[in-house]
Amino acid sequence: MKKSTIYLIIAAVVVLFGFYGCKQYNSMVSQDEDVSRAWSDVETQYQRRADLIPNLVNTVKGYAAHESETLQAVVEARTKATQITVDPENLTPEKLAEYQAAQGEVSQALGRLLAITENYPDLKANEQFSELQAQLEGTENRIAESRRLFNEAAQQYNVTVRSFPNNIFANLFGFGVKGNFKADAGAEKAPTVEF
Amino acid sequence: MRTFLSCLKTLISSTRLVALVLMMCVAHIYALTALAATYTPDNLPIPYLQDKTQYVSNPDGILSQATVDSLNLWLGQMEASHGVQTVLAVVERIEGGEAYDFSMALGRKYGIGSKEQNSGLIIVLATEDRAYYILTGRGLEGTLPDAICKRIENRQMLPSLREGEWDEAMLNTVRAITQYVDGDDSLVGSSDFDDDDDIAALIAFVVCMFLGLGLIVFGIWYDNYKKSYCPSCHQHKMKKISGYTTKNSLLGIRSHHDTYRCTHCFFTKEIHWDENLNSGSGGAAAGGALGGSFFGRGGGFGGGGHFGGGSFGGGGAGGHF
Repeated sequence: MKKSTIYLIIAAVVVLFGFYGCKQYNSMVSQDEDVSRAWSDVETQYQRRADLIPNLVNTVKGYAAHESETLQAVVEARTKATQITVDPENLTPEKLAEYQAAQGEVSQALGRLLAITENYPDLKANEQFSELQAQLEGTENRIAESRRLFNEAAQQYNVTVRSFPNNIFANLFGFGVKGNFKADAGAEKAPTVEF
Repeated sequence: MRTFLSCLKTLISSTRLVALVLMMCVAHIYALTALAATYTPDNLPIPYLQDKTQYVSNPDGILSQATVDSLNLWLGQMEASHGVQTVLAVVERIEGGEAYDFSMALGRKYGIGSKEQNSGLIIVLATEDRAYYILTGRGLEGTLPDAICKRIENRQMLPSLREGEWDEAMLNTVRAITQYVDGDDSLVGSSDFDDDDDIAALIAFVVCMFLGLGLIVFGIWYDNYKKSYCPSCHQHKMKKISGYTTKNSLLGIRSHHDTYRCTHCFFTKEIHWDENLNSGSGGAAAGGALGGSFFGRGGGFGGGGHFGGGSFGGGGAGGHF
């Protein structure tokens, strides 16, 4: 074969490689954006729950003043959780596990609080409390739904980034694997109500 | 001895037969009592897909027909004025017994509510499972926040549910919901022309009409053109050389008698034709009938509806009673 033919073939392969890489890069970028959007949705729903907590604590305090320990635990868990923010660029599995753990503590503290409200029939009969409880339940549902959608987006992205030959381009351009929400630890155990 | 044995055999076989018949009866009765099936989001009948004026799914016949009609009326007005697409299901049992999971799965499956507004609404009541939920689409969460849904349920739904008054519960709930929705101006109503399918159908219809008219006109012109040629020499046109008319007032007819002659071969033809004086509007009546049949799509006023692909975020409220 002539030298020029070899050069031509090499050039063609490089160009094809370039086009393919371009296409894969674009698809990874778009999926990365999907994950970021889903993540901001998750953060919004958790923030919504955090915003509901002060109102809830104040309402319960009016009826169950001497449950201060449980109330304090909720407030503290909430403060800790709101301090942990995760940048969408940095959604590594470790960071996500940390975030999930902090929010999980809030969930547990809330669960204990709502369990003890069973002891106060006046509180339960209060319509404002009933509506607050509905808002909280609605927020928990929204959190669950947004986590589900985030997991879907993250899994799609992870499959793209980890499969061959894309993983070459992913490593080249710095696309890392994103974390997933796992089932909450301790979710198997429902909080016990002590009378 | 032999007869005794044979008697015994027939006795045993007849008892077996009787037992079999009894078992079949019991099985039938059991089947009848279990006839009110447990509904899953996949097998719940959705009348909206066949008839877009039917929002209520009432397969177990729990609600009365009058209630269903009233609910459909209100929910239809809500869709027209605010674009809120509703599915209201009242059944005895749902799979899993949890109305939130059922409503959410239903919302995901059908994509209720428009894609732009996400204004879907799902109301589920399971009377045997004693569960209910009002699920709001993402776009409705501002108009019907969770607390309001809970308030509507506490005030309008629960008291009647505890009495077993399903009709009253649903009527009061939907009435309250329409009041909240009517008070919100941010929701835009849907008109029939938002529908892409409708626009396409209308354009197709208009094009066909024009084509049809064009063809008819062309046909008439061509016919006349052909007729004006001489039948014997097929060359030159026939010319009218004389004509007279007579009027018959009794029948309301004017009769024309025309004589045509070919300018080349002098072939002569006489034509007689009648003109009806009284009603010239026969054509208009036929046109009206044709137009009417085009506009009456499948089943008069309620053609099949389809859901806009709206999404649900998990908002709303519900519980057990």
